Amino acid sequence: MTTEKSEVFMVEPLNRGNVSKKKNRFSLSSIMTRVRRRGGKMENMKREVEINDHRLSIEELEKKYATDIKVGLSPADAAERLDRYGLNKLTPPKGTPEIVKFTKLLLGGFQILFWIGSILCFIAYGLQVSSDPTSPRDNLYLGIVLVGVVVMTALFAYYQEAKSTNIMAGFKNMVPQQACVIRGGSKLQINATELVIGDIVDIKGGDRVPADLRLFAGRGCKVDNSSLTGESEPQARSSELTHENPLETKNIAFYSTTCLEGTASGIVINTGDNTVIGRIAFLASGVENEKTPIAIEIEHFVHMISALALFVGFLFLFISLGMGYNILNAIIFFIGIVVAYVPEGLLATVTVCLSLTAKTMAKKNCLVKNLEAVETLGSTSVICSDKTGTLTQNRMTVAHMWFDKYVHTADTSEEMTGEQFDMSSKTWTALGQVASLCNRAVFRGGQEDKPISRREVEGDASETALLKFTEMVLGNVAGIRDQNPKVAEIPFNSTNKFQLSIHETDDPADKRYLLVMKGAPERILDRCSSIMITGQEWPLDEEMKEDFQRAYMELGSMGERVLGFCHCYLPEDKFPVGFQFDTEEMNFPTTNLCFVGLISLIDPPRSSVPEAISKCHSAGIKVIMVTGDHPITAKAIAIAVGIISPESETVEDIAQRLNIPIEKVDKADAKAAVINGGDLKDMTTEQLMEILRNHPEIVFARTSPQQKLIIVEACQNLGNFVAVTGDGVNDSPALKKANIGIAMGIAGSDAAKGAADMILLDDNFASIVTGVEEGRLIFDNLKKSISYTLTKNIPEMVPFMVYIIISCPLPLGTITILFIELGTDIIPSISLAYEKAESDIMNQKPRHPKRDRLVNIQLAAYTYFHIGIIETFSGFLCYFTVMAEQGYLPGTLINIRVPWESRTVGDLQDTFGQEWTYYQRAQMEWTGYTSFFVGIVGCQIINSIIRKTRRFSLFRQNVLKNRVFLMGIASQIIVAAFLSYCPGMGDGLHFMPLRVQYWFVSAPYVILIFAYDELRKLIIRNFPGCWVDRELFY
Amino acid sequence: MAALKEKRTCAQRCEDFGYFVWNPDTKQLLGRTLDKWVYISLYYVAFYIVMSGLFVLALYVLLSTLSPYTPTYRDRLQSPGVVMRPNTYGDEGLLIVYEVNKPDSYTPLIHTLQNYLTPYNRTEQHAHYENEHCNGNKYFTQNEPKDPEQKLLSCPFYRSSLGKCSGMDNSTFGYPDGQPCIIIKMNRVSMDLPPLVNVYFLFFKQKGEPKNLHNIEYFPPNGTFDLHYFPYYGKIAQPSYMNPLVAVKFNSLEKNKLLKIECRVVADKISADNIHDPYEGKVEFEIEIKNGTAVNK
Repeated sequence: MTTEKSEVFMVEPLNRGNVSKKKNRFSLSSIMTRVRRRGGKMENMKREVEINDHRLSIEELEKKYATDIKVGLSPADAAERLDRYGLNKLTPPKGTPEIVKFTKLLLGGFQILFWIGSILCFIAYGLQVSSDPTSPRDNLYLGIVLVGVVVMTALFAYYQEAKSTNIMAGFKNMVPQQACVIRGGSKLQINATELVIGDIVDIKGGDRVPADLRLFAGRGCKVDNSSLTGESEPQARSSELTHENPLETKNIAFYSTTCLEGTASGIVINTGDNTVIGRIAFLASGVENEKTPIAIEIEHFVHMISALALFVGFLFLFISLGMGYNILNAIIFFIGIVVAYVPEGLLATVTVCLSLTAKTMAKKNCLVKNLEAVETLGSTSVICSDKTGTLTQNRMTVAHMWFDKYVHTADTSEEMTGEQFDMSSKTWTALGQVASLCNRAVFRGGQEDKPISRREVEGDASETALLKFTEMVLGNVAGIRDQNPKVAEIPFNSTNKFQLSIHETDDPADKRYLLVMKGAPERILDRCSSIMITGQEWPLDEEMKEDFQRAYMELGSMGERVLGFCHCYLPEDKFPVGFQFDTEEMNFPTTNLCFVGLISLIDPPRSSVPEAISKCHSAGIKVIMVTGDHPITAKAIAIAVGIISPESETVEDIAQRLNIPIEKVDKADAKAAVINGGDLKDMTTEQLMEILRNHPEIVFARTSPQQKLIIVEACQNLGNFVAVTGDGVNDSPALKKANIGIAMGIAGSDAAKGAADMILLDDNFASIVTGVEEGRLIFDNLKKSISYTLTKNIPEMVPFMVYIIISCPLPLGTITILFIELGTDIIPSISLAYEKAESDIMNQKPRHPKRDRLVNIQLAAYTYFHIGIIETFSGFLCYFTVMAEQGYLPGTLINIRVPWESRTVGDLQDTFGQEWTYYQRAQMEWTGYTSFFVGIVGCQIINSIIRKTRRFSLFRQNVLKNRVFLMGIASQIIVAAFLSYCPGMGDGLHFMPLRVQYWFVSAPYVILIFAYDELRKLIIRNFPGCWVDRELFY
Repeated sequence: MAALKEKRTCAQRCEDFGYFVWNPDTKQLLGRTLDKWVYISLYYVAFYIVMSGLFVLALYVLLSTLSPYTPTYRDRLQSPGVVMRPNTYGDEGLLIVYEVNKPDSYTPLIHTLQNYLTPYNRTEQHAHYENEHCNGNKYFTQNEPKDPEQKLLSCPFYRSSLGKCSGMDNSTFGYPDGQPCIIIKMNRVSMDLPPLVNVYFLFFKQKGEPKNLHNIEYFPPNGTFDLHYFPYYGKIAQPSYMNPLVAVKFNSLEKNKLLKIECRVVADKISADNIHDPYEGKVEFEIEIKNGTAVNK
């Protein structure tokens, strides 16, 4: 086992190329298969296959694209081609046309009900006018107001959506890409979007490849195809044709990939949407988005309310017909009941609450693209996370050293605040020297003011890590190199597996040359005959070798990439000053060197991640690592960040511990599992689901982005809400498939960002957890907000029923209802979104998507049949009080409707024999509306307060803490007072000024609501699971 | 999310719903067992009984604070309204249109007047309400009754005081002659101090300044409501109260032309300026008397 492990480790750098190539083919072809499945995109496919530029010679290419590799296109030619082929950019996924979006908003949710209501209003008005031209215009106004409400709500939602889309648009256009192009014989910097087919383009390390290029020259060019394939191992690019498949050959560089180092020149062969990535991005936009859970909840709720509204509406339509009302009146009653029952302002409230949370999340580096996705994170039960960059810092860092027979730990924290190791040993001096000399990486210029860890480096990841490490510990590596001029060098290659260089020493007295070497530890050790311990050379005996082996294993098992270092002072007599070192012939010793030490590198976990993961675990969220990396590295990081807890074992671990074959291990004993992508390929979906079910701690290593999609689907089949992180184009389908796709803001490709619902601006896993917290909070707060909003629908609807049944003057007008819905109650209901979490929401399990509904029976029952009913009584008490004090005792009101509403009765008697004209009665009726309104508003104020908590007593809560909430209550009172006392309200909106004492008639009911709810909460807290808890806890 | 979007057939849904209505395994009816239903119903019954009880209690307290004779406030009844007979309505409001040559066109109007005046017959009103206070033109103030059984006195109003418009001598109220009578009533209002009351008529041209109508006869003379009919103490204290009336006879209205006429009650505390209410402190109506010659023209 041990040797096997080290073998794997050793071979890794070598094998990588092959593996990734294989992966490339797999991933691309599987994407293409997906394309084929989607009908009409065959055309794209055909063109894809038609790429044969890699087989053409340069002359043929020049002919084909009518260009010249020295002179380039003429500017006129380029302009003409730009006209013909268009800009070199990806067409953003064709969004729904704006007008369709708006129309959808106009017809979605409750809007259909309102349209029906307003059409009925117009019909009713028409009928009224045709039968009696003097009839009041109330129905006409109501119809217009309903249309207005629909249009306003739609405009509002549209505005909110447009706003979040704009954030995205701004995000995309942040950095315009430049390209270095040869045109008309001179080199120009132009916008990459202006490139045309046939342009001659130069790329260098650090550039993004601006279009699909057929390379005709390359010097040490390596590209990172991760945005295309998800595999971040650099791949060499040159002018050679190395593969028949255009996707595999070295002489084609693809749009949106990054050139890591070296330079290359090429001819543009495809631009914009015709590029390979363009086609993939195009098809990724076709994967259907899952509906967000909050959208499902709201839909569920809208259906429920609409059905109830129509049911009650029709019920009373028939009742009123049965009671002898004519059809016109029955229709008017129907409209009134529907308007009263439907919470007009609710969808706007929900939109605002969500966008407020989206804002908060954006502050915490979660940019939410789709408002509804805000809550999704909260219901997430599984997170499939990338390793590199998300869990780790995405930079190779020196983690450990082994010298003087001890393992020393380097500081890997992000801000370099950790402890330093002991640097007094002479061996360290030698090791530091070797590490800084035998290193081709250099800092890019002009970065002296930046902290070392943030400086940009020319060179591969390991050398970069070593350079930064030595710079940090020794300081001024460039100075050391200047003092030890390099006289010869053999770069790393996969046959030697070492890199060596020969330097003059910095001691002018010492004329010897210093040979330094680094490479795969075994190979280095094989070339050594001695070892340095505390600055002294000791012969390398078997015991030393065992020490070495143990250290190497230890570091390797931590998932670290280990490098060995050795040096040798060449004897002056054999290699005098000025000796010509020949790196081809190797006319110098490469054996019998002195071993100095080991340095191991790792991409260290981000410091905030372990805490975030433990939060996830306590929040009942399973974190699955899905990475393309090596299983050992993946497992080591998983252990380091807590995805695999220290005490849990994999099947392999158990097998090793008990020394039994893997097959005999009871799989149930293994909490953790590390699944290799290769094994995953051979698994059936059932097996995969079995694994996902059985192991709470899972790491998928060596996976391709396509397998990510399979994993996501399997998790979803188990009934989980899955969040997926991703950055490559190839991740797009998985991001889309996930319930919530999270793209990386820094490392992510545009396609991934396009497919995701959310963008992590700092690429940090910990930001996801804060997102989860916000998502859960908004779910709770929406519950509060909705229960608050729904309560008043009962006191709005019952007056209509009473009006129909006892034939009294209408206690509450339809317009008044709309003013409660859209006037007084809007701000308080929104302010509930600012509530802090009632209890520790991160210690609860994620909500069960089918059981824990946003609006459940308990919420509806308590809201409608308890608080709603009390509010109704309150409204009626206000109404009867005002009516009685003004002359109409309750008894008189019964069956008074017909003469009351008749314009031809100019002298209707009240209880005391006073006679009222029609207009005086109308004003009295509006006063009644206003009093009922005041009765509801009073109760709604206390209702908003009791809704602040669902379980805890308000006495324990600091009610004054939420400032916005206080403003909400103030706004409620101010709006109500304004409506009542503003002159001229009577004839327009049917509000009348009330005597001050009438505002306090509802006081007993305000107290009753508060006491009743406190009693309920008390019982719920003290008798969990009791009848009240089951029936009345929402 | 497959768990959330299972596509189920209608039959399955119906079956599910059937199970929801009656689940034979758990013996649940609409999601609850029978005894659970009993419990929850009992709870709701109790809850609503208590709530209704509280409401009734609140109403009882409310009613016990009210005076049985007069309303507490008159916030929406600042000035008494005025009604007119005959009261036929057109598109805009009160409208009287008839043709002198066609009895069919005015008979209903005359009937309205006759019916309206019937209670004012001397035989209909109890003579013993007639008392010394009803002679002089002075307020007839009385003390509020001590108990509901005690009734206050009211002065009778006899139709005979409407003279030519009483319909006693001329049962056609002058309609066939093109000199119609109309009857004006001021609505009863429990005002603290009754006003000094007088009615007069304005005639509005279609456009331009209003001007006074001439050639009008008022009954009783001067078109006043005698002060001894005020104040009004409410229906319970004064069950036999009769509104005093004023009748008007238009002697020379222009024929074949729609005239807009406003009748104002002129008194100290009565406002007729409410632009929204054409019948508060005044009555607005339109009248057109057609005669055959004009129609034939």
